[in-house]
Amino acid sequence: MALNPFFLQGSKSEQFLIQDLINEQIKIFGVEVGYLPQKFVRKETILREVSASKFSDNFYLEAYVSNYDGYTGSGDILSKFGMNLKDELTLIISKERFESFIAPFLAAMDPDEIIVSTRPREGDLIYFPLGNRLFEIKFVEHEQPFYQLGKTYVYELKCELFEYSDNIGGWDNVNTTVDQIDKSLEKQGYITTLKMFSSGSLPGFTTSLVSGYVRKIDLINDGYNYLSPPTIEISPPPSGGVTAQAVATISCIGNFCSLKEILLTNPGSGYIEPPNVNIISLTGIGATAKAIIETTYNGIGVVTVSAAGSGYVTPPTLAFSSPTVGSAITAKARVTLNSTGGINNVLIIDAGVGYESIPEIIVNQPPLTLGIGTFIFNEVVTGESSGTKTRVKSWDNQEKILKVGTLNGSFTPGEILVGSISSARYCLKNYQISDLYDKYEQNDEIQIESNSILDFSEKNLFGNY
Amino acid sequence: MLGTYFYHQNIRKTIIAFGNLFNNITIKHQDGDNNDYSEIRVPLAYGPTQKFLARLEQQADLNKPVAITLPRMSFEMNSLKYDSSRKTTATQSFKAVTNDSKIKKVYMPVPYNIGFELNIMTKLNDDVLQIIEQILPFFQPAFTITVDMVDTIGEKKDIPIVLDDISFRDDYEGDFSTRRILLYTLQFTAKTYLFGPISDSTDSLIRKVQVDMYSSTDVQTARREMRYTVTPDPIDAEANDDFGFNENWEFFGDAKVYSPVQKTDI
Repeated sequence: MALNPFFLQGSKSEQFLIQDLINEQIKIFGVEVGYLPQKFVRKETILREVSASKFSDNFYLEAYVSNYDGYTGSGDILSKFGMNLKDELTLIISKERFESFIAPFLAAMDPDEIIVSTRPREGDLIYFPLGNRLFEIKFVEHEQPFYQLGKTYVYELKCELFEYSDNIGGWDNVNTTVDQIDKSLEKQGYITTLKMFSSGSLPGFTTSLVSGYVRKIDLINDGYNYLSPPTIEISPPPSGGVTAQAVATISCIGNFCSLKEILLTNPGSGYIEPPNVNIISLTGIGATAKAIIETTYNGIGVVTVSAAGSGYVTPPTLAFSSPTVGSAITAKARVTLNSTGGINNVLIIDAGVGYESIPEIIVNQPPLTLGIGTFIFNEVVTGESSGTKTRVKSWDNQEKILKVGTLNGSFTPGEILVGSISSARYCLKNYQISDLYDKYEQNDEIQIESNSILDFSEKNLFGNY
Repeated sequence: MLGTYFYHQNIRKTIIAFGNLFNNITIKHQDGDNNDYSEIRVPLAYGPTQKFLARLEQQADLNKPVAITLPRMSFEMNSLKYDSSRKTTATQSFKAVTNDSKIKKVYMPVPYNIGFELNIMTKLNDDVLQIIEQILPFFQPAFTITVDMVDTIGEKKDIPIVLDDISFRDDYEGDFSTRRILLYTLQFTAKTYLFGPISDSTDSLIRKVQVDMYSSTDVQTARREMRYTVTPDPIDAEANDDFGFNENWEFFGDAKVYSPVQKTDI
């Protein structure tokens, strides 16, 4: 049975007319949405899933909102995994507009990244400007209405709110260059907070020469059960001298702690014989130490911090110029840092022997003397020494706090981080990994509570804690 | 009848200890050139919460641009049952010393099994496989942790966490109106203990031990001839102190015998 030849069943011109009418209706009553094609970065061969993808292009297209009276779906629900938003959206876009505007661009992209270019694809994202939300296309219906005049004219996109995962939130993440879209994701996903130093400055030290001083304190027995640093009391010199002062540090393996070393804060003066060193602790037992004194030649006295400096992440090394007489033992000392990365105090390991004049004190430069630039959203930031890379989420220039996405390794405190586009350079002070912005995770909270109730004398096999 | 107030947080501590097992699990992703581009610590939380708190904390922005961030893990207690196989004598008790050196009488804790459920939700199959492979090898089928159940007396108990069951759901079939859900559920049993009230002990610290020795086993006629006495050094040492001992040996030829009632030699 042939069709009636006196009817066209839909001519090209009739089809064009309907298409034009539909296009016009969508342009009048529609909403301009962003279409973000998913580009495959890595596809798992056996498990058959795209384990890494990126959304680096966007196309703005008019779409009619089919569910005009609100989102469909289950709405906002509280699940075992916290808040889960189940909003759904149905959009109708013109087939002709997609094929003439978006499809040619998709066809020109890397075919390994875009495996279908002729139609809207499931897995692509829709940026819905009414609410600044991202929807994932779940299904593309292409036959509704069903072949009017022998042709279909629209695509119906059934969308659900996007499930964010670090397979797009990390290295090659959403980067559309459209501020509205990028900013909507700035606070989503895994955020690592980096505290940076903006500038660093050299510290200053002064010292003096003393005679009849405690040169150093040797540990004879490190004892046990020193749960906190003990108090060190050194017996005074004969009248007219200055009593030496010292502090102790401890080291622990698991719950077993012993004395690590005793360092001088003041070598004293006027000693003619080695003083007693009393180690006073509420818990520790058995540690003993002896003082080594120098009565013939001069050594360094108290080292005072005249300028704390700033920008240090690890304590810098102090170097003293060499002495010239006697056994000529060069003084040694180490510093401790304050919370701003400056020098807190100087602890003398050995006051040296044989100085005729006050020695010069040389200290390492802080890692970065001046931080410059402004990190910009989504640029790649690289650690100069670790090579670790990440992408910028936000930069607080006032507080010098850089928020980034997931890392591909670990940064080293003290290294310089450089922005790939902005060329901003700042020194990393410390960082906290992977905070979920929505306050779901309790990993650290659980760990803090566990520290007081779990016995960790045997290693926790499940991690580094 | 029961109304003595006490709360050792035994169940809460077991929940924390269970959560601690899984709070540092990480997963990695690679790009097309097999280079790691991301390493994340899988977020973990105790599932049950107040609804308003969840909404305020996790959806402060009402127009949250995405549905949820994955992967995630949650755990929750789902059963509490007496374990008769670990029952001890109900009247058995032991002495313990508190941090401030007071002696307490503690009845043996009551064995209870707490059921836990660990749920893992991911977007990718590869993610969940990374997670469970980092968990399962440690359970054969139990993994034991040591928990300070009553901090005032420092009572540490070994609690085996037994992996009972693993189930998973991968809804990849069906129409396209629903999204694929990847959800693994691991069932565990924590063999924990619940402590009852801890009372002050009427007993005092033993501050002196005295042993009399006889030259004959005839206790009716024999008289003590040698006495061994031990006291702590210093004599006022408390149970938690680090103390030594004073030992004293005495020899007698006076044919007397010690009366524990009159506390003297008669």
